[in-house]
Amino acid sequence: MSTPLLDIRNASRRFGGLLAVDDFSGFVRRGERVGLIGPNGAGKTTLFNLITGFTPLSSGTVRFDDAEVSHLKAYEIARLGVARTFQNLRVMPNLSVFDNVSIGALGALGHSPLTALLGRRKQADEISRRSWQAIERAGLQNQAGELAANLSYGKRKYLEIARALALSPRLLILDEPAAGLNDTETAALAQFIRKLSEEGLTLLLVEHDMAFVMSLCERVMVMASGRKIADGTPQEISRDPVVLEAYLGSAEEAA
Amino acid sequence: MFDIFFVQQLVNGLSVGLIYALMAIGFTLIFGVLNVVNFAHGEIYMIGSYAGWLAITIFAPPLLVVILVAMAIGAMAGFGLERIAFWPFRRFRDEASLKSKAMREATLLSSLAISIIVRELAEKVFGSNMQTIPQDYLLLTPIQIGPLSFASGQFLILGLSIVMLGGLQWLLTRTRVGLSIRAVANNPMGATYVGINTERTIIATFVIGSTLGAAAGLVVGLYQGAIFPAMGFAPGVKAFVAMVMGGLSSIVGAVVCAIILGVAEAVTTSFFAQGWGDLVAYVFLVITLIFFPTGLFGGGRDRV
Amino acid sequence: MRRALPTIIILLAVLVVLPAILSAVGGGYWFRVTTTIGVFTILTMSANLVSGTTGLLSLGHAGFYGIGAYTAALLATQLHWPFYLTLPAAGVVTAFFGIMLALPTMRLIGIYFAVATLGLGEIIHLTLLNWVGFTRGPMGISAIPGISLDGLFTASDIVNFYAVAIAALLTAFVLGRLAHSYYGNALRAVREDDQCAASMGLDVVRLKIQSFAFACFFAGLAGALWAHTTGYISPGDFRFSESILILAMIVVGGLGSLPGAVIGTIILLGLPEVLRPIGDYRMIVVGVVMFLSILFLPRGLLSETSVLHTLRRQFGLAWNNTKHVGWRL
Repeated sequence: MSTPLLDIRNASRRFGGLLAVDDFSGFVRRGERVGLIGPNGAGKTTLFNLITGFTPLSSGTVRFDDAEVSHLKAYEIARLGVARTFQNLRVMPNLSVFDNVSIGALGALGHSPLTALLGRRKQADEISRRSWQAIERAGLQNQAGELAANLSYGKRKYLEIARALALSPRLLILDEPAAGLNDTETAALAQFIRKLSEEGLTLLLVEHDMAFVMSLCERVMVMASGRKIADGTPQEISRDPVVLEAYLGSAEEAA
Repeated sequence: MFDIFFVQQLVNGLSVGLIYALMAIGFTLIFGVLNVVNFAHGEIYMIGSYAGWLAITIFAPPLLVVILVAMAIGAMAGFGLERIAFWPFRRFRDEASLKSKAMREATLLSSLAISIIVRELAEKVFGSNMQTIPQDYLLLTPIQIGPLSFASGQFLILGLSIVMLGGLQWLLTRTRVGLSIRAVANNPMGATYVGINTERTIIATFVIGSTLGAAAGLVVGLYQGAIFPAMGFAPGVKAFVAMVMGGLSSIVGAVVCAIILGVAEAVTTSFFAQGWGDLVAYVFLVITLIFFPTGLFGGGRDRV
Repeated sequence: MRRALPTIIILLAVLVVLPAILSAVGGGYWFRVTTTIGVFTILTMSANLVSGTTGLLSLGHAGFYGIGAYTAALLATQLHWPFYLTLPAAGVVTAFFGIMLALPTMRLIGIYFAVATLGLGEIIHLTLLNWVGFTRGPMGISAIPGISLDGLFTASDIVNFYAVAIAALLTAFVLGRLAHSYYGNALRAVREDDQCAASMGLDVVRLKIQSFAFACFFAGLAGALWAHTTGYISPGDFRFSESILILAMIVVGGLGSLPGAVIGTIILLGLPEVLRPIGDYRMIVVGVVMFLSILFLPRGLLSETSVLHTLRRQFGLAWNNTKHVGWRL
């Protein structure tokens, strides 16, 4: 078994007196589909922020592809191949769909002003190709020229994923991808994500929709109050008494 | 001799600082409640001084009446300002794509535009030169206490500041209006849920802040003996500096930093030429923003 | 050929048609007015890059305009440098200052950055005003040599016009390339959501600094042109009100829109000239126009989105011409 793609060791994040993430250790192997669940306020998004360099670690380490990334800035970690989507969709409303997606490509391929000034067509064409590829994968060809602000909620979700794909990531982190979608949309999304995984993408996702998580993920980590309280297959997790207890106190409804 | 001189400068600086403090409070209140910078605050200060001057030249009433007139006009100006430059942009607040950043920029620009219009109109109406305050009202009667000499104006400033600060404290802690201001500043959505009329609170904040600013303008006018339309710009910026230094949401912090600013300015002006004294505030501003993003006393909100 | 046509039209309009018209209506004064507008378009286009496209609202741009003007003036009067050296030198020096002054403020966002730039602009202005030994303070610098080349041409209204026109066209070309490209997308991403841009791999700090550097270079260039075409500069030309004027122009024209910046400049500078009675109330008009603009036309007269769309659609700047998406640069 080779080293895991993502390896989190004893990660902690403290905000003043609050320990949002408390000594969390976990990993994601290459090609795996791992879910992260837990009651609201468990620290899942903070953990994502730690992994992606949005927030600095208070202690512990994060390793990506056997290299320590704990102290790297967000954009450096992204360029190494870690892409994410956001819980509260952060598409850039005043840019077109294509332009939004191109941001990911720019991140991966670089953004020198000389490209534009010296008329380096080849670089631009590469960005264009990659962006279009990501748009096609996400099925947004017909909306490519639309302003992102005019997109429906469901389409925006795909836009965020397309933008992340344009980074050509090795690890895709999805923060509540199914939130706000109805059953049909959720099923379509699950199918899409599964296809991405089959194409070789490693996935880590947070979701409250239990059926979604259970059907899609090979392994599930459970967080509560900043700590990891369980780690196993969906079947094992759903029977774990510690997990059930963690959920009993919250206003969660299992799907 | 040197020590006395230095102490004298400190005293002068204290007076200047208290003026900035009165303005800074208005800034901080508005920022706390609306999370926006009011670029026209300096113009309210100027309006206060011109209102007082007009009252003096037309009616020649007693000093206290002049102060009250200035404050009343300032309050009305504050109300008008809020309705014209800030309220129209809150109608669009619900749009998902218009995040608060866009609204903040819009109100920054709108209040900036209004400040330009008001300032230029004042220049057209009153001329850009200084207007002098009639002799009787000037508060320059020297008063000697030990080795230090004060002007009567400085006592007025001190007294007025204490009264205003005390009044504000009472207002914020003992009245419903004050309570709603603190509530909205703390959590706007939560405040609406418990039934607080956010609109009225915002208006009240502007009115109160503007009253303080106008009073400051009037007193400065009386103390320095001359007023001019552009007089609000520099104090306005300095009040903003004080607010940022004080940690954005802290009134006490803003007051303390305003005084620090005033003293620093007075000391600089006495040891260097006048022009460099103005520089102090801007240097403080830039240094604070860069090195102390949460203000000197912490507690700043938001990413800076 | 279709792509070259608009460029040719613009070149002809600015370099041939316009001077002809100006000569016809009496030359002299009108050339000077147009030259002023030209200098300001360079300023506004540069301000548009940093405040409009990149979203770093700057309230101190006039300060950099001033640095450029003083650099050129001092180089020309003290070291007797010719204009073709002072112009680029002014640009470089200003860009350098811009980076130095802006570097520490790059962390700031939104209004905090705006107020920091206000502070910087005032610091620059006050320094120009008070450092009498170096800048001659309020007396200003006079007798700045004009734009002339021995044996070829001597300074005159027409020469000034062409110098500024050519500079403005070059500026538009360079800034246009920067903005209407994937690099421009990167800058716009910084404006739209800089945290998100960073999580997508964009080096946001570097982009901000680059944007600022380019903007300051051209602001310095504009300042140098101002110095050489008017022959006299003083700190009063570079105060806060100038910064606001520039801001108003780009807001009216449309934040992030290059042609918008030009339109805004023409309107806010040209109107007071054409309607003389308004001239005295210039700043009031500026304030009113700016306010009405923000209220009713928040995206400006030529909004960025419509400009980008038109460029891709009409001028073939799009990758994938059937869908009019992407950039070819």
